[in-house]
Amino acid sequence: MLVVNHVSKSYGKFEALKDINLEFSNGVYGLLAPNGAGKTTLIKMLTTLIFPSSGEILYNGTNITRLGEKYREQLGYLPQEFGYYKNYSPKQFLAYIGALKGMDKKVVNKKIDELLKLVALEDVATKKMKKFSGGMIQRVGIAQAMLNDPKILILDEPTAGLDPKERVRFRNLLSELARDRIVILSTHIVSDVESIANEIIMIKDKQVLYKGSIDEICKVIAGMVYETSIPYEQAAMFKKEVFSLSEKQEDGLLKIRFISKKTPEPTWTAVKPNLEDVFLYVYRDDIQESSAI
Amino acid sequence: MNVWRFELKKAFQSPVVSILIMLFLFFNFWLIYNHAGIREELKVTNQLVERFGYKIDAEMSAKLQAYYQSKLQKMNELTRKKFGKTYERAGDFFSEYEYRSEVLSEEELHVITETAIVEGYYELIQEVDQKYSHLDLSKKAKADINKYGLSGKTAEVTREYYKKLNNRLDELIEAGEHKNLFFIGYVYRMHSFLFKDLMRQMIFEVMILVVLITGHVTTYEFQNQTHLTSYASKRGRKLMLDKLVANLLATLCISSVILGATLLVYFLVFDYSGLWGIPISSFFNNEFPFPYISWWKLPFGIYLSCVLVVFIICQLFFTVITYSIAVWIKNNYLVYAAFALLFGLCLLVPGIVPNTSSAIFWTRYTPFELILNPHLWFIGWNVFFPKNYIWMTSVIWTCLLAIVTVVTFLKFNKEQID
Repeated sequence: MLVVNHVSKSYGKFEALKDINLEFSNGVYGLLAPNGAGKTTLIKMLTTLIFPSSGEILYNGTNITRLGEKYREQLGYLPQEFGYYKNYSPKQFLAYIGALKGMDKKVVNKKIDELLKLVALEDVATKKMKKFSGGMIQRVGIAQAMLNDPKILILDEPTAGLDPKERVRFRNLLSELARDRIVILSTHIVSDVESIANEIIMIKDKQVLYKGSIDEICKVIAGMVYETSIPYEQAAMFKKEVFSLSEKQEDGLLKIRFISKKTPEPTWTAVKPNLEDVFLYVYRDDIQESSAI
Repeated sequence: MNVWRFELKKAFQSPVVSILIMLFLFFNFWLIYNHAGIREELKVTNQLVERFGYKIDAEMSAKLQAYYQSKLQKMNELTRKKFGKTYERAGDFFSEYEYRSEVLSEEELHVITETAIVEGYYELIQEVDQKYSHLDLSKKAKADINKYGLSGKTAEVTREYYKKLNNRLDELIEAGEHKNLFFIGYVYRMHSFLFKDLMRQMIFEVMILVVLITGHVTTYEFQNQTHLTSYASKRGRKLMLDKLVANLLATLCISSVILGATLLVYFLVFDYSGLWGIPISSFFNNEFPFPYISWWKLPFGIYLSCVLVVFIICQLFFTVITYSIAVWIKNNYLVYAAFALLFGLCLLVPGIVPNTSSAIFWTRYTPFELILNPHLWFIGWNVFFPKNYIWMTSVIWTCLLAIVTVVTFLKFNKEQID
């Protein structure tokens, strides 16, 4: 079990994360927050790339910094900005990563073939990566993270660059892997985690805001989500009174999904909230700020 | 799997390294080629050594004289036939206006040239004792004090230095180290050519390659944005140790390639076959009025080996210096600039230290200062080349760089990798 115990992280006077407490056992965890919320900082601490300013991270009861190699050999990590050697082929690059992971040469070679097939790169296994598309590179990144069959798989924005088909395949793969390991999936794309995460962790204001199953989290806005259709000319006025989640044109009217704490009007239809509704509602200030930018 | 093997591979992947190696070897071969005109003349030295041995004593001198006389006689027979004239000295033939090479065949000219070379050896042998008996190192001390504007403590150090050198000179004369045949330094300057021109050129070439490679390999993960993947792996920050090992091995490889290829060509062009055992302090090796006085009795072969060892030690120092800078800076271009800056500073400091301060001496104990005069390594030349110069510089910098490396690695171990 991986435990994050009262962990804070500061850079000088800037506090990136404050008193984070989390527990991870086998399963998929969706770390959901907008960009800049501190997801990557938390992940870098989980991968020993940076160290907590206070608090500790324990793996099976021992501090991960003290465990060092013994902890990291259980780890598979795909960073948000996955770097690679342009003049290496996937096979060469994965062989190098295998060496860094302390794997036996024969085992690595076998595993490389398996993984390249799994991520559908077996045809380009010996081609230089400089000509690869973003999606292909991301698949190499996924393969390197899984190379050592890790007990803890940490993936930071793993679906960036993947096409819809690849995303589905990837999600299915993660679901299967998560049966006997911890999979932490950091993303700001709700659909990435909605269908596969056992638990969602939402970070806001440098702290963990919610940690629970999707159903539990959706209860936060239960009974507040509605849909209605209104004429376009009323839209501006209407949106001032409610928090709009999504809008689309339907039969000459504007069909709007929104959150309102007021007593519902007869034309409003109550709908079951989903994770995206919670995300948009919880991070409404951050989203408005980034839209303004 | 050994990670350092992968790191070593990165060192030689860059086409710049291969191109530079080829270019530098070309420069070295070109330098040798430009000097190769004297190779036939140098063979005479080996012939003399083969015939009489290299140790100069009365018996050898007498034999050489007889040989010279016979050579001169043969030459005069030839010149009488060709020019109707004989010479007291072979050298006179070359100073006379009527000498015209086109009158002589190559073989005939060779006979005369060879006689002149043998004559040179014979005549110089007569001067050896006189030259060394006239050496007054206290005068040299005074000259150095005036030349470098030394006073007080530094002047005293200079006088003390020459006393020590004088003791070594007495020992050298007593042992007859100077009385050995070698290429005539005044004429061929082979010591300067090999150890100053060629060796110094190689030192700078290898240094450039070493700095390029070390900066490249050490910062490779940060330059390619693979640092997050690499340093979060099982090997983690110990990868930096693998990089150090790979850099040191790359330095040994580069040094071996440049030194090996260049010296192989050098010794194929210039025949040293009979001269490996001749002390470097031989009178014949001298190129200037002040002789080369090695601090220890060092035969040419041993001297060359010692120079090569110091060469490699200096390159290993440059590797560790560059590595330490690279771990801190993480940008290879800035690493190269920082190394150049450090090099410049280390050369600048001894020049701005007051002449009265003993710092004028110890600020020169740096590998950067050391590599400027490889032809004077292990040799007492002036007060800036003391007996302990090489080993003190090596020991001080080994300790210093060991500390720097440990501090650098500890720092990197606690570093936030973002």
